[in-house]
Amino acid sequence: MKRLLLLALAAATAAHAQRPTIDISGARVQAYPLALAPPSGAPEGADVLGVLAADFDRSGLFRLLDPKSFLADPGKEGTSASTIDFSKWTAVGAQALVKTSAKAEGDTVKVDFRLFDVPHASEMLRGEYSAPRGGLRQIAHRFGDDVVRAFTQEPGIFQTSIAYVRETENGKQIVVADADGFGAQQLTAGSINLLPAWMPGGRALAFSSFRNGGGAHLFQVDVATRAVQQLVKMGDFATGAVFSPDGIRFAFSASQAENTDIWLSPIEGGVVRRLTDSRGIDISASWSPDGKRIAFVSDRAGSPQIYTMAADGSDVRRITFQGNYNQEPAWSPKGDLIAFSGRDEHRVFDLYVINVQTGKVARLTQNQGTNEKPSWAPNGRLVVFSSTRSGKKQLWTALPDGSNARQITNEPRGASDAAWGPPLSR
Amino acid sequence: MTEAGPQTVYRSLLGGDPRIGWLGPGLALAIGLHLAVVAAALFLPKLLDRPHPVRKPVIAHLVALGKPRDPRLLPRKESEPPAGAAPASAPQKPGAPAKSAPQRQLTRQEMMERAVAGAARRTRDEKPDPERAGQETGSPSGTAANAEEGEKYFGEVEDRIHANYVVPSVISERERLYLSATVVIYIGRDGTIVKHVMTKPSGNSFIDQALVLAIQRTRLPAPPPELARLVRDEGLEINFKP
Repeated sequence: MKRLLLLALAAATAAHAQRPTIDISGARVQAYPLALAPPSGAPEGADVLGVLAADFDRSGLFRLLDPKSFLADPGKEGTSASTIDFSKWTAVGAQALVKTSAKAEGDTVKVDFRLFDVPHASEMLRGEYSAPRGGLRQIAHRFGDDVVRAFTQEPGIFQTSIAYVRETENGKQIVVADADGFGAQQLTAGSINLLPAWMPGGRALAFSSFRNGGGAHLFQVDVATRAVQQLVKMGDFATGAVFSPDGIRFAFSASQAENTDIWLSPIEGGVVRRLTDSRGIDISASWSPDGKRIAFVSDRAGSPQIYTMAADGSDVRRITFQGNYNQEPAWSPKGDLIAFSGRDEHRVFDLYVINVQTGKVARLTQNQGTNEKPSWAPNGRLVVFSSTRSGKKQLWTALPDGSNARQITNEPRGASDAAWGPPLSR
Repeated sequence: MTEAGPQTVYRSLLGGDPRIGWLGPGLALAIGLHLAVVAAALFLPKLLDRPHPVRKPVIAHLVALGKPRDPRLLPRKESEPPAGAAPASAPQKPGAPAKSAPQRQLTRQEMMERAVAGAARRTRDEKPDPERAGQETGSPSGTAANAEEGEKYFGEVEDRIHANYVVPSVISERERLYLSATVVIYIGRDGTIVKHVMTKPSGNSFIDQALVLAIQRTRLPAPPPELARLVRDEGLEINFKP
């Protein structure tokens, strides 16, 4: 009987006072505060740490703390957890701490890196890398990628490469550089070469070139040997090759009988297949990461807009409806977003992303010159693009919301057409 | 002749008792209890003077001062991006001599410190967008392009917690995209968050720490009298989503 009464009271109470509920979404992402302690040992350690600092800063993952604020005495503090006074690092706001010590032996430099979890006063990661003095940058990139993986369980992008077009006195040339813009290697000489695209494995690049006179056609260049050979010669012109994620096909645009469409070719060559057949111009193909769909630009509705279609050319859907000139789609590695450049009402091109599911468009750049040709980092955490915000067109990287923009090239005549690729083996 | 033994007569409790008429004591008790339950359910809330349940508040956002944007145009940025920064360690121009070599010999340590300090100094100097989408009757501190009706207090709570809803960049994209956690907060009459309970953790300690920090950093306005008892006693459930 007593139980019955209690149940009745509980039911009555629950019925009258339900807890209100609200949903909060749209979390802001904040860079993780990280301290790079001054290096100990050989002076080359400072060079390595400078490269690492630039990598971390550009990634947007970490907020580097000002060394002037550090309380710990680098001369007294060691590089093992037991010798570090973590309270001094906590006091300056550090959540993570990197310590390095370098040792030079002849032409070889050995660098010992350690990553510490400051709140838990524990060592998270340790690595010892050796390299000739000319390879110190690669040491920093490698440890940087290891740190990113330790936190995010995802591969870093510091050891990746970016291909782009360099403006020269002798036309536009294909160049490959590290993801921070250093170590640029020019792969072509003479003529006008455009739109580099990484072939599977990263050993070669496809590009469009006017080198044989007439219209542009597709060529490929071996990154190591710089040997160039024709990939596709078709119709009035063939351009904008992009390789499927499984690496067995590539899509491109070709013009035949004054009609420009998207075509598909096996990577080993052979029979090509027409994917689009509209009266308008269909160009700028970009594969979805699962290889099932292709984004492209078409003016079939009167103005250039972004469309997607199944990889066999069926199920064509228009996805952009705002603005009257949208181009250069780049499907994100995670598949949720497509970055593109669009011309706004001031007739300036800026970068946008559209959510493939919801169709919501967000703007990445604004009031900072012209911004074009986005390309995603392999992990989807950064976008590289060309921008005139600092004068001549140069390559910049930014987070997918447009923040943390950093210039990575300083080409005297300009740089454009970036394509972010895999790690480059030299 | 046999003598009849003592006989026991069992009488049902439901049966009538000649002393109290046809109604048995058990039946009377059962009816009384049922009446009590019904009465409790009907009158207890009124007796306790509790507000009506608020199940799903509609959140209101302050409308931004601006002009309605033509939906056919590409959107403006929600806030200005930070001013572009020069590279922390600028690449050399192709073909240019290694002009920094002498400096590097002199100031290796300084160069590293400058690179790190330069990165640390960069701040987000956000300027208002003169073309921001909003309404001519909106507020300079508004955040929404269009007006919505809703529960003002919960809208303020949402805005204030959202301002501190920050997750660390180092979590994996998968965890960020599928983030889901629930925290119940109990709000005092002056707006103080007197208690919080994480009823459904996200499964990632970085995220859970960040959510607790967001709650701890938030200063809420005092709830209106009609909600004060509810948010103090029952709390407010907050579902954090990506």
